[in-house]
Amino acid sequence: MTAPQTRERVVKALEGVAFDTIDARDGMLTLRVERAVLGELFARLSDRAGFDQNTLVTAVDHFPAEPRFEMVWQFLSYDHNDRVRVKCSLAEADAHVPTCTPQWPGASFSERECFDMFGVRFDGHPDLRRLLMPDGYLHHPLRKDFPHAGIEPDRLYREWDKKRREGWQPNA
Amino acid sequence: MTTKQVFEYMHHAPDHDDPVHGAPMKVNMGPQHPATHGVLRLAIELDGETVTSIDPIVGYLHRGKEKTCESLGWHKFFPHTDRLDYVQPLLNNVGYALACEKLAGIQVPQRGQEVRVLLMELSRVMAHLIYIGTTSIDLGAVTIFFYSFRLREELYSILDAYTGHRMNNTYVRIGGVYADVDENVEGMVAEFLRTAPARLDEIEKLLTANRIWHDRNRGVGVISVEDAKRLSLSGPNLRGSGLAYDLRKAQPYSGYETYDFDVPVGTVGDAYDRYLVRMEEMRQSLRLCTQALERLKKSKGADVLTEDRRYVLPPKGDVHSSMEELIAQFKIVSDLRLPKGEAYHAVESSKGELGFYLVSDGSSKPVRCHIRAPGLMNVQAVPVLGRGRLLSDMVAIIGGLDFVMGEVDR
Amino acid sequence: MGSLKPVEGEGVGFLATRVDELINWGRKNSLWPMPLGLSCCGIELMAMIGPKFDLARFGAEAARFSPRQCDLLVVAGTMTWKMAEAVRTIYDQMPDPKWVIAMGVCSSSGGMYDSYAVVQGVDSILPVDVYVPGCPPRPDAVIDAIIKLQKKIEREDPLRRLLKGPENKPDIGTGEAFKQPNAGIARSSLDLHPHDPKAKLEELQK
Repeated sequence: MTAPQTRERVVKALEGVAFDTIDARDGMLTLRVERAVLGELFARLSDRAGFDQNTLVTAVDHFPAEPRFEMVWQFLSYDHNDRVRVKCSLAEADAHVPTCTPQWPGASFSERECFDMFGVRFDGHPDLRRLLMPDGYLHHPLRKDFPHAGIEPDRLYREWDKKRREGWQPNA
Repeated sequence: MTTKQVFEYMHHAPDHDDPVHGAPMKVNMGPQHPATHGVLRLAIELDGETVTSIDPIVGYLHRGKEKTCESLGWHKFFPHTDRLDYVQPLLNNVGYALACEKLAGIQVPQRGQEVRVLLMELSRVMAHLIYIGTTSIDLGAVTIFFYSFRLREELYSILDAYTGHRMNNTYVRIGGVYADVDENVEGMVAEFLRTAPARLDEIEKLLTANRIWHDRNRGVGVISVEDAKRLSLSGPNLRGSGLAYDLRKAQPYSGYETYDFDVPVGTVGDAYDRYLVRMEEMRQSLRLCTQALERLKKSKGADVLTEDRRYVLPPKGDVHSSMEELIAQFKIVSDLRLPKGEAYHAVESSKGELGFYLVSDGSSKPVRCHIRAPGLMNVQAVPVLGRGRLLSDMVAIIGGLDFVMGEVDR
Repeated sequence: MGSLKPVEGEGVGFLATRVDELINWGRKNSLWPMPLGLSCCGIELMAMIGPKFDLARFGAEAARFSPRQCDLLVVAGTMTWKMAEAVRTIYDQMPDPKWVIAMGVCSSSGGMYDSYAVVQGVDSILPVDVYVPGCPPRPDAVIDAIIKLQKKIEREDPLRRLLKGPENKPDIGTGEAFKQPNAGIARSSLDLHPHDPKAKLEELQK
């Protein structure tokens, strides 16, 4: 179902970069690559293949299987009106990938969210902090071994509440 | 001082020798602030009154939707999609349903698609009315809030008559919609379509040529097409910069390619352009509703839900009388299995590209349900647009970008 | 107010009751809501203030976004643990007397969000006067809650509290409450709740 022009253009742009294509169920052109070529791949997709927007950056946790994480990037080209998906497997002990913010600054929050939710580190990200959970939160909620009801969800509030009772003022 | 001098003073670059521009000041805007449209928090650093840096802190409404989807299952997640962007619940429903249908590989019958288009376009009008109401109240035009809510109340009554609830309707199902629209609802929609353009004119009369509205919005938060693309902006924010890209036209779904409508674009890419684009989009949505209504009149009596019983709920009447149908209903609600694989589907929501990325391993529990929220990308643009502007411009920038925190934080 | 002082020793005096009624009448008909629109319910809260439902009919339309000017906190929507600190700060900043409406099931009990981020009911951290079910509740339901709150205010005895000085309010949110959602709160604090008729009865019996 993938448009042949998209495949042709991407293959041409990625000349010399090792990748496999997978048949995704929704028909989107899906590339599977090794982590080592990701930096080069992002630059090629952005400059040569004309993908000018990052749609999403996320991970899929296949716990307890190894390699545990499967990173997913998705890009959109406005000129050609097509999409491409990039995937890369990561082991838990070694969960870090290069950032794609130099090419697509809009991926910054998505990468921060992915770090927050899965604990995957993005090398070279200018400001890798938690996005949704508060600073000081200890867990990565979207990992499969994290319970839905949470682990001590009120810990940070209780710590704050204790300070508040002792007379701490937010603006003091 | 003449007006010109005041204007120049307001817009000059920060001068660090000026005693007014002393030590930088930190201002915390939110998480409880009426102009942040929910619970967004902005840590702003000011030099005098000029904003030097902004750090948006989100997550104050993070409810763990993606985790919820993984633990609940495919069908039970529907009510949660309503509460993503809660000013347009039915549009979110359709987005999720389309992604599930792509994964399942089923088609929605013609009439079901027509009902969906009608609901989506009504939702878009609802969402844009909230935008215009809240943004104008933040910028001092309180009347518009009452005007827009009067119009919104009419839409609420339509949805109330059709779905039984004003908000968070959950009326879309995998394979179609839950129930058909009847004559009563059609009549209400037709009446709404007859009166709404004049009501929109009233709002536009008060704002479009209003001097205060111009001063607060024109030239504020300007972004070029190229920057907007790279910043992942989409929807009206991207079209306000001048790129005519609408997913309804570019990657059509639900039969949008057969409808006749225009895609409005801006020229400068400021908050005023985004306002104009949204106002025009409401009119285009009304046009689409009119067409959908005509088609619904022709296709009366046809199915609104597919017959594929692997994924589709049985008719409610049969569930009450037949044991087999009761079992089928129970199985679909609690144990729906979508085929192994992954699917991404994006719809044009009122905020931009709302996408659902679903991964299934063939069991009843989703492996992953990632929601590509356009609102998060709009929040991300706040620092870029706001840097170097005055603090008071932040309200216009936040309002113009238009996000809803339920979707930003998920 | 000096002439009113003897009342304190006499139990329920005639003058005190009349003054109480006057104060309560004033308070209940000029509630200043602080609309804390956290999520979906915030939109219905806006609709409630809007033209069709018109909260002004009940004297509670003067919504202020500064907690310092308000006496009715309407917690509308899902409260997360990250937001809880802000909500508690807002409550602390409101001047006495103050009342709280938990609008919607999320703020009443956590609702459909039984997840790692959501507070299972704002009564884990605040005393709540009226709960409004619904997801979101219709504006009529919230107006009903405001009428119920007005009836509750009618039963208060502000003068007694005024003469006795600021009372030592029991604090909610010790952590015990969360371990056993909602049950712990009733045990630890609702019995001593300032607006609770039971507490009032005990006080009178003394």
